[in-house]
Formats: sequence, structure tokens, C-alpha cells
Amino acid sequence: MLKHDVVIVGAGLAGLRAAVELRKKGIDAVIVSKVYPTRSHSGAAQGGVNAAFDENDSWESHFFDTVKGSDYLGDQDAIEILASEAPGNILELQSMGVVFNRNDKGGIAQRPFGGQSFPRSCYYADAVGHMMLHGLFDNVLKYKTKILYEYFVTSLVTDNGKVSGVVAYDIKNGKFEGIAAKAVLFATGGYGQVYSSNTNALINTGDGMAVSIKAGVPLMDMEFVQFHPTTLKSTGILVTEGARGEGAYLLNSLGVRFMSKYAPKAMELAPRDVVARAEQTEINEGRGIGGAILLDIRHLGKERIMEKLPQIMQLSIDFEGVNPIYEPIPIRPGAHYSMGGIKTDYNGRTVIEGYYSAGESACVSVHGANRLGGNSLLDTVVFGRRAGIDMAEYLKTADERKFDEKAVKRDEEAFEKLKKSSGKERHGLLKSELQEEMRADVGVFREENAMKKALDKIGELKERARNIGIDDKSKTFNTDIVEAFEFNNILLIAEVITRGAILRKESRGAHYRTDFPERDDSNWLKHTLATLDGSGNIKFDFSEVSITKFKPQPRTY
Amino acid sequence: MEFKVRACRFNPETDEKPYYKEYTAEDYPGMTVLNALIKIKSELDGTLSFRRSCRSAICGSCAMKINGITKLACKTQVSHEIDKFGIINVEPLANMPVIRDLVVDQESFFDKIKEIKPYLLGQREDEAHNRFHALKEGEKISQPVYYKSEFQNLTGNEDTPNCILCECCYSECGGVVGNKNYLGPAALAKLYRYSEDPRDNDKNGSRLVGGSKPDGIWDCVHCQSCEEFCPKGISPVKAIVKLHEKSVKNSITFSAGSKHVVSIARSIGETGRLDEVKVAFESGGITGLINDLPMAFGAGLKGKIPPLRHKLIKDMEDIRLAYKELDLEDKL
Ligand SMILES: Cc1cc2nc3c(=O)[nH]c(=O)nc-3n(C[C@H](O)[C@H](O)[C@H](O)COP(=O)(O)OP(=O)(O)OC[C@H]3O[C@@H](n4cnc5c(N)ncnc54)[C@H](O)[C@@H]3O)c2cc1C
Ligand code: FES
Repeated sequence: MLKHDVVIVGAGLAGLRAAVELRKKGIDAVIVSKVYPTRSHSGAAQGGVNAAFDENDSWESHFFDTVKGSDYLGDQDAIEILASEAPGNILELQSMGVVFNRNDKGGIAQRPFGGQSFPRSCYYADAVGHMMLHGLFDNVLKYKTKILYEYFVTSLVTDNGKVSGVVAYDIKNGKFEGIAAKAVLFATGGYGQVYSSNTNALINTGDGMAVSIKAGVPLMDMEFVQFHPTTLKSTGILVTEGARGEGAYLLNSLGVRFMSKYAPKAMELAPRDVVARAEQTEINEGRGIGGAILLDIRHLGKERIMEKLPQIMQLSIDFEGVNPIYEPIPIRPGAHYSMGGIKTDYNGRTVIEGYYSAGESACVSVHGANRLGGNSLLDTVVFGRRAGIDMAEYLKTADERKFDEKAVKRDEEAFEKLKKSSGKERHGLLKSELQEEMRADVGVFREENAMKKALDKIGELKERARNIGIDDKSKTFNTDIVEAFEFNNILLIAEVITRGAILRKESRGAHYRTDFPERDDSNWLKHTLATLDGSGNIKFDFSEVSITKFKPQPRTY
Repeated sequence: MEFKVRACRFNPETDEKPYYKEYTAEDYPGMTVLNALIKIKSELDGTLSFRRSCRSAICGSCAMKINGITKLACKTQVSHEIDKFGIINVEPLANMPVIRDLVVDQESFFDKIKEIKPYLLGQREDEAHNRFHALKEGEKISQPVYYKSEFQNLTGNEDTPNCILCECCYSECGGVVGNKNYLGPAALAKLYRYSEDPRDNDKNGSRLVGGSKPDGIWDCVHCQSCEEFCPKGISPVKAIVKLHEKSVKNSITFSAGSKHVVSIARSIGETGRLDEVKVAFESGGITGLINDLPMAFGAGLKGKIPPLRHKLIKDMEDIRLAYKELDLEDKL
């Protein structure tokens, strides 16, 4: 068994930011990740990270835009922290080595993003996530942090209601390892793989959320899934909102900028839920082109495209066979971001003492029913940092606790049992069926009967999942068995999303019910909290939304 | 269309040496080699092991040899490979031990990255945050602008900040083939990225001194493979040459490689000809000379030994101009 003061699970931006905070103070924190840190999905973020810097901008305006963007479901005490701490965090990152593009005055250049009333997204061409991830990772190296990479975390371990560590599977040699700690942070990212046609990495399987709900920690607002309006038609690979920030048009098959109908003022820069629905409506009403619509950046000119959107150009050429300098890019909405997640407060604390979460796996909630572009990277660093600070404080008084080795045995046995199974079902195929079902019936537009159909399908898949067979019996780098466990995680998450979506009988932000098309503040201005009962069934509670400064208003753009 | 994938397989638990296994898959428009491998794994053979994450050429997980050439599987179209080769051969990266199938042990690669101090030196990162929080009501934070123009350059310094650590360059590096301890292109490109950062405050040039030690910048063999195989269009070798220049300019010339360069410049500048014996002596000292003897002898046997004293250069004016252009006049 290994023993450290803090275990950080996840080496994306949130995990690394927390790690830097702890290591700087000399605290014995270890990073555990199922991939090498720089392979984390944070590196794929393209467009930008928000902070109000300009003289004519203010963090209060960022605060309001975020509340409105969240369709008033975001907790305002937390959003106030997010917006007001943004500039300091960005400058801090910059002094750690992160590079942002410059404006004429030499300050950080900023581009407009959807739902923001001011251009306040800081960027590094169209690869800001890459720049931030590698910059933070280099700082983790600077503070000589121990990293256990290619370790797959399977359980959270507690002792008398306090966290006592995690169980992890060492992918390289097939051994299970208990890692004892007084504080544990899950920064395990999102669950994009629940859907087909998503922008996420293949590793984004909601593991941290699945492990948490099984350990008794509530998942909050899971029915809110963001569909990004511009993902490449054939692969779901993202085309950043920064493209629209730079001035791109959305066109239907008639060559019309259809956003004038849905958001006459904000046009292409309306928030993502609004644009995604507009696109899907155009497609459904027959004004799409082979199930897609077009993103046109030709008028920006070759030079500007090469300078500001070089990755987008390359991705379109490599993955869609279209050079956007000369042709519009076929795009459609794709699953992108998990607004919901492990319920935490604004210091990352959960209901279990010593157990924290931050980043996309957490739900603070600063994004409410719909996240604004550029606010998620910000979320990872602001709340990753705060969790780091709070854990350091917590350690000062945290008492010793026992790590129950039986937890390691349990997971080991579950793996062995699965490995020995001679079932006929292939988890890769079950995953595709699940993803397709979720896209079709729990997607951009939702309706009770369709979602019940999805629940039936999930029930069927749960049955069939008992019959999964594993080809790979070896101990060395057995990704077959890891993928089987990941499949079970997304299956559980899919059920939580679907049940939450059926329960919430209103339309708010990214959750749009065709059978309940209006927002219903009198009944539904509240968070949903999902937990498992004794027999593993999902049940729901509710909690209040923090409303401090801005009373809910109709949301138009 | 059906096509064949021939995958290099090796499991240390059961196999003595690697072997190849053939699979048949069905193509669709836009299918990448990674898509093909995923399909094979999920439908035909779950035991095939490889790394992958982003599937959009940004995380650096899926580098492998495809039809003999190191590439990112997620960025390589099946149709292109089939058009050219009629089959898709996949093999693990070179220059690193194989763990299993297409998965290599990257530990040495990552260790080398750690060695070059890949972070800003002499920085106080909390300062910015504290300054922000000390602001009074209504006050605005002023951004530091001191690095305005240089900073703009940083986003374009041979594009080294865009490196995704995929190891394509490392797998193809001739320097690593010859010397397992050579830091390699990715680590040195990162060394360049930080040493060129205008915010870096490396007072005594420790990073460059470290990089100039044996196994560092002077061990590059200039084979250009790193530039050729980089999926992100970065040229580590150009960065390494710039590091050579920088270290000579900063008189970090303790290593044999740099002494060699300086000595050649001096030999030509002073005498108008290249004096190989003198250069060899000045670069490696007497022990270096003795160590080089067997190699020189072998080269001589094959008729490959250069003239010990080259011809006098006729037009020194051109040379002088070139030295001036390169700011090397003091070497004349
Ligand atoms: C294509 C794309 C573009 C985006 N662009 C933007 C943008 O421009 N602006 C913006 O604000 N946001 C953007 N986002 C959103 C943002 O990038 C993510 O929300 C954010 O980076 C998530 O960071 P994270 O640290 O929470 O998680 P991640 O970066 O996803 O990291 C998760 C970590 O957890 C580890 N992990 C997971 N499960 C396990 C397990 N079982 N065991 C061990 N380790 C585990 C993984 O190995 C990984 O290290 C984008 C997202 C995508 C998909
Ligand atoms: S899977 Fe990320 S680079 Fe290919």
C-alpha cells in the first residue's frame, strides 16, 4: 500500500492546478491519472479562457453574463468568486509560463465568445488548452511532484465518514494498489463518451462521477449536457467557438444566416444551447445539408485564418477533407460538456470529509443549466486552486485514519471475475448502442416518451452487460478490461442523466423538453441531487439555488 | 472496401519475440488508422493494445509506425495508406522498449524532459494574484506589458510551444540511435522554448549550461528527422542550432562540441584554412585525440579520411562578410 497526505486523481487542468498549490507549500501530494498528464483532455481546449481585463469591462459584468448564461440555475455566490478571481488567476498562470496572444498595447488579447457582453476570452491562437495544460504540467515538474500515470482509479475508500484513500489499477502490470491519504481530490473530467458524435477524448468516461455516486456522494444537475453547435460532421471533432468569435457565419442550405431568426441581436454569438437548438431545428425542418449545416470563415481571409485559427484549418483538412480558406465547413451539434457533476461547495468540498472535487467532474455550480464558452477552463484553475488551498488548511487538523485493505481486494475480485467471464457480449459494441440511443433520445431536444425508450434501452444494456466477455486475459497493459470498466461507468452515468431529464419537467438552458418548452421557476428553480439507494437504484433530492444579486429574468439574446 | 491491417504483436507474458497478426476491416470515408484499430479491438480482437485519447492530434498518445513511418494514427487516413501501400502495417515507436504490442515504455523520454528545467526560472507566480487581490474598490489591475514585443515572438519561436510530446521525433532521432542518453529533439526544443522566453530569469545560464553537457545540444547529429516527422510542423533541429549559437555567444564553450565549432571558426578566420589536427586537438584535448584515433584509422582504411590540412581559402573577403553577418567578428 502507498501512503501520501493528498491523492489528486486526474491530471487535467483542475488536478494540476491543485497539485501546484499543494506542492508549492511542500505538501506530500501525489497525482494519479489513467493517462500521462499531457494526454488529458484539457489539452484539446481551443478557444479561450474568460477574464474581465479591459478598462471598459468589469468582473461584475462577467458575473451577470454567467448567471444569465446558466439560465439562473448557477449558484451566484460561486459565480461571483469565479468572475472576480478570474483576472488574478490568468495573470498568475501567465507568470507561471503560460503564453497568451497579445493586443496592440502589449496586454493580453481578448476575443468575443458566445453569451459574453464583452470580448473577454484570453487565447493562444486556437490551442489555449494545450498551452495551459503544458504550462501547468511544467510547474508540476518544477515542484518535483510524484506522478502515478496509467493508474486507473476504481474506488474511493472511507473510514467513519472521512476519506481515507483510493484504490487504483496499475495498467502497466495489472496490479491493484491501495493509496491511503487524508485528503483526496477528484479532478477526473467529464463524460462526453456517453454520447455518439461528441467532442470529447475517448478517455472521458465519467469515471470519477460513477465512483463518487457509488461511494454515496450526490451528483448534481446531471441532466444538463452541453451540445456544442460546431463539431465536424463526420467525427464530432470540435471547431472552436473562437471561430465565431473571429466572425464566422452559420449558413443553412439556402445560404442564409439563419441565426437572425433565433437570436437577432447576438446572431452567431448567442450561447451554445440557443445556437445548437437553432441548428437542429434548421436540420429537422429540411434546411440542412446531409444532416449538417455550414460554418463559413472564408471572408476572414487566408492570413487571419492562418494566424488565429491554424488548428481549425488543419483539423478541417485532416478530418473533414475541407479547406476552410476556400470552402465552408459542414458541422452539427455534438455532446461537449458536463454541466452537472459531483456536488461541491466553492472550496471543492463534498459531503464526505476530506473528499474534494474540481473541474469538469465537479458541480459547484457555476455553469447551472448552460455553460458559457471560456468559463470551463476558468472553472478548472479557479476552483482547482481553491481546492488546493483548502486541502492544505484541512491537513493541519485532519486526524489519522484507517485505510481498509479489503477495498483493494474487492476491486481486484471484481476485475478477476470480469476477466474470467466467457460471456458473448462485446463492450465496444454495447457502448456504440448506448451512445447512439443517448444521442437520439436524450439529446438537444427531449421528450418524455423518447426518454422512456432510452431508459428501456439502458435497462436492456445493463442486462447484457452482465454477459460481457473479455478477450484479454493478460496482466500487461490490458486495455480491454479497463474499457469494460469504463463502459460500466458511462452506462451508470447515462442512466442518471436520463432519469434526471425525465424528472425535470421544464426547459432550461441546455435541457430542452418539447413537451415542456417553458422555464418554470416556481417549480424547478432548484438543483437535482442523484444518489443510489441500498439496492443500487437512482433516487433524487433537491437543493436550493443561491441567488444573491440577480433575480431571474427571461433570457433572450 | 475491405482492407488489411498487419499489426505487430508482442506480449511479454507469452511471447519470446514480436510477431505480426493480420486483420481485415471495412473502410468508410474519412476513416483514420486509429478508427481502424479501435474497430478491430472492439469487434475482432480485444487483446490488441495501443494508446489513444483525444483522436484529434493534440494529446500525443497515438504515435506509432504506420507503413514504416512514424505518425499519429488519429491523423492518418486509411485511404491514403491503402492507395500508397495496399496494406496498413502498424508497429511500435523505435528508440524505446516495447511494453506490449504498440505500447512503448516512455519513461526515459519523460525523464529527459524533466532534466532541462522546463519552467521559468526566477519567477514569483503568486505576485500577480496578490497584486490583484490588493486592489482597492473600483481599481483596475494593470497588466504587465514589459515583454510586449518579445512576447509576441514567443508564440512563433520555431513553434516549439506547440509540441505535444508525442515522441514521433524521438522515435526517428538519429542522435538517440547512436547514444541512448542523448536528450533528444523534444526535450531540447523545450529547453529552447524556455530559454527564449523573455520572462525567464536564468541568471547564470544554468539551463543552457546543463544542455551543453554531454548528451545535450552538441550530440545532435543534424539528421533533420525530427523536423521531417513532427506532426505539428515544429523544427526541433532549428531550435537546437539556435541553442548552439546562443551558447557560443554566451561563451558556454566547455563541451567538446562547442569547442569544435569555435575552433573551426577560429582556424578559418585566423589562417584562412581548416586545420583538422588543430581543431581535433582544441575540441577534445590530447585524450580526445587519442580516443578519436581508432575511428580516424578505420576511416583511413576505407579511404574516408579528410586532408589534415585543407587548401587555403582564396577569397577571404566573402568569409569575412559571412562572419560579420553572423556577429562572429571577434572570432576572426
Ligand atoms: C474539444 C474541447 C474544447 C474545449 N474548449 C474550451 C475552451 O475553449 N474554453 C473553455 O473554457 N473550455 C473548453 N472546453 C472545456 C474544458 O476544456 C474542459 O472542461 C476542462 O479542460 C476539463 O478539465 P479537467 O481538469 O476538469 O479534466 P480533464 O482535462 O478532462 O482531465 C481529467 C483527468 O482525469 C483523469 N482520470 C479520469 N478518470 C480517471 C480514473 N478512473 N482514474 C485515474 N484518472 C482518471 C484523466 O486521466 C485526466 O488526467 C473544451 C472541451 C473540449 C472537449
Ligand atoms: S489520439 Fe491524441 S494525438 Fe492521436
